[in-house]
Amino acid sequence: MKLYDQIFYVVKKFKELFSPGPVTNADVSGSITAEIFLIVSLVIASLLLRHVSILLAGLVTFILAIVLISNIPLIPKFKIEQEDSLEKMLFYAIIVLGLIVVFLYWGGTLV
Amino acid sequence: MNELIPLMVIVPMMAALLISAFSKFDKVIRIFAFVVAICLPIIPLASNYGLHFFGGYQPIVDNVTNIVYHPAITYSFSFLQQIFIAVIGILTFLVVFIYLTKYKKVSGPYLFLLFMGTASVTALILTDDIFHMFVFFEILALAQVGIVAASSIDYSYEMALKYMILGSIGSPIMLLGIGFLLAMTGTVNVTDIVAIIRGGLLDITSPVFLLSLGLIFFGWLYASGLPPFHTIKSGIYSKAEPHGAALLQSFTVISMISIVIIMFRIYSVLPIFEVLIVLFSVIAMILGVSLALTQTDFRRMIGFLAVGELGFIGLGIGLGTQFAITAGLFQALNEIVITALLFIGFGAIVNATNEVDTRKLGGLLAYHPKVGIMLLIGGLAMAGVPPLSGFQSKLMLVQASLSCGYPELSILTIMVSIATFVVFVKTFYSMFLRPKPHDLEVVDKDVPRAMVFAMAVLLLIIIAFGLFPDIVTNGISSYVGGMLQ
Repeated sequence: MKLYDQIFYVVKKFKELFSPGPVTNADVSGSITAEIFLIVSLVIASLLLRHVSILLAGLVTFILAIVLISNIPLIPKFKIEQEDSLEKMLFYAIIVLGLIVVFLYWGGTLV
Repeated sequence: MNELIPLMVIVPMMAALLISAFSKFDKVIRIFAFVVAICLPIIPLASNYGLHFFGGYQPIVDNVTNIVYHPAITYSFSFLQQIFIAVIGILTFLVVFIYLTKYKKVSGPYLFLLFMGTASVTALILTDDIFHMFVFFEILALAQVGIVAASSIDYSYEMALKYMILGSIGSPIMLLGIGFLLAMTGTVNVTDIVAIIRGGLLDITSPVFLLSLGLIFFGWLYASGLPPFHTIKSGIYSKAEPHGAALLQSFTVISMISIVIIMFRIYSVLPIFEVLIVLFSVIAMILGVSLALTQTDFRRMIGFLAVGELGFIGLGIGLGTQFAITAGLFQALNEIVITALLFIGFGAIVNATNEVDTRKLGGLLAYHPKVGIMLLIGGLAMAGVPPLSGFQSKLMLVQASLSCGYPELSILTIMVSIATFVVFVKTFYSMFLRPKPHDLEVVDKDVPRAMVFAMAVLLLIIIAFGLFPDIVTNGISSYVGGMLQ
């Protein structure tokens, strides 16, 4: 029953995501597809770490899968972060710039 | 006839200036804009391949190092440039044609922006000079802001302003990166920079060189709308007029491939460059399609799908082999055509219903069967259904990632294609197949003929590229082979 309750909670959250306005079957199906797609694709993408270290890839994949599944529904959280707010866009732009510079400075000569 | 090479930029730029200056004479600028728009795809097809040195400054050979230096701003024109400029020319013609037939009185400044944008992307793909690239990148960004701000859609000004503010971060950072590169090499000509790097005259592990990569890469993310700029890019597509959005996405794709080709030539000596491109491409694919699945505004949905498709292009280029880069560039060509078809087709639906929410639409196949069927084929092409053009490029990408030893990327590519198919089936069902809601009024039953004509032309290109991909891929592959030598 616990899993059923969790899935039911996900659908309830999707209803809030589409409000105001009617929620159709197609919208909820689309959101559930997005949810599953997001989890599976991130887990598969993390397998690419095997080119750095197989142990690291195994650990990251396992931890990521647990974190993602235990935090469903992810799409409403993702959507809030991807809205048209200038503050959020600027925040992520600056974060990414910082990450690129750090990544290149410390990792540029390693690969 | 290498004199035609600079004309590819000069003709649309002069047309833009003249149309803006004489915008009071409505009939004259209509005829002039139409004639120039027809010329745009003809010029690249009539021109011979070769180089053009502005000012006539021929390359100079350094007798000590045997390196050839290029003092002039150089335009390089080969098959890759020819096919992309011809396609952008066809698209500009179709967009101008739709615009001229849609409004009784045309706006000179709006046509100025359309032609100036076309001139900028043409210069971007032709140039072999990194500073020249930046100048046209800036002009293009301003033209894009103008096209969005000039549309009559609610909040278009706000979105254009946000795009400009984000551009005020992306562009100076890219310029800073170019400045570092100039400081290290003493030149802005890409061929010269590559010769200096390959000749071992530059320490590629230097932090300044690495930092220049980071800064130019960040500017490229802004130009191409890859994360973290995917939200604003999909936003500007949804707030532009449909024909404007069709042209905007093609500007994005061309600027993306133009800048990445230049970066690839300079920085491919650093393996981390390809890692970065693949990383951001994968994130774009995942985010673009996930967010498209949850949209109820179909213009925004196409915007996110367009961003997701950019990830496929980046993936091909990031894998770095001749076959993979060819696949990525072929995907870029397909995306320009397919996404333009979708934007124009969905624009026709907005025209007929004044509604963008898929929850409030339905039963439109009975009213607009031609548009519905053409949109269906366009959507299937985007999802990679055979024998359409999207299938050929995506199949090449799957094969490329498998042959490079990355089966995870092949699986991801297939998964994203399936999710794209789901997005399209869901939207098509909501808009065309389910019963029409009682409160939906179909305002204008006739879709403008110019839009149907434009969709038919784009559909023919999609089918032609799908059935005969070799007409494009052979030429692109030769170009890429030369680039990798």
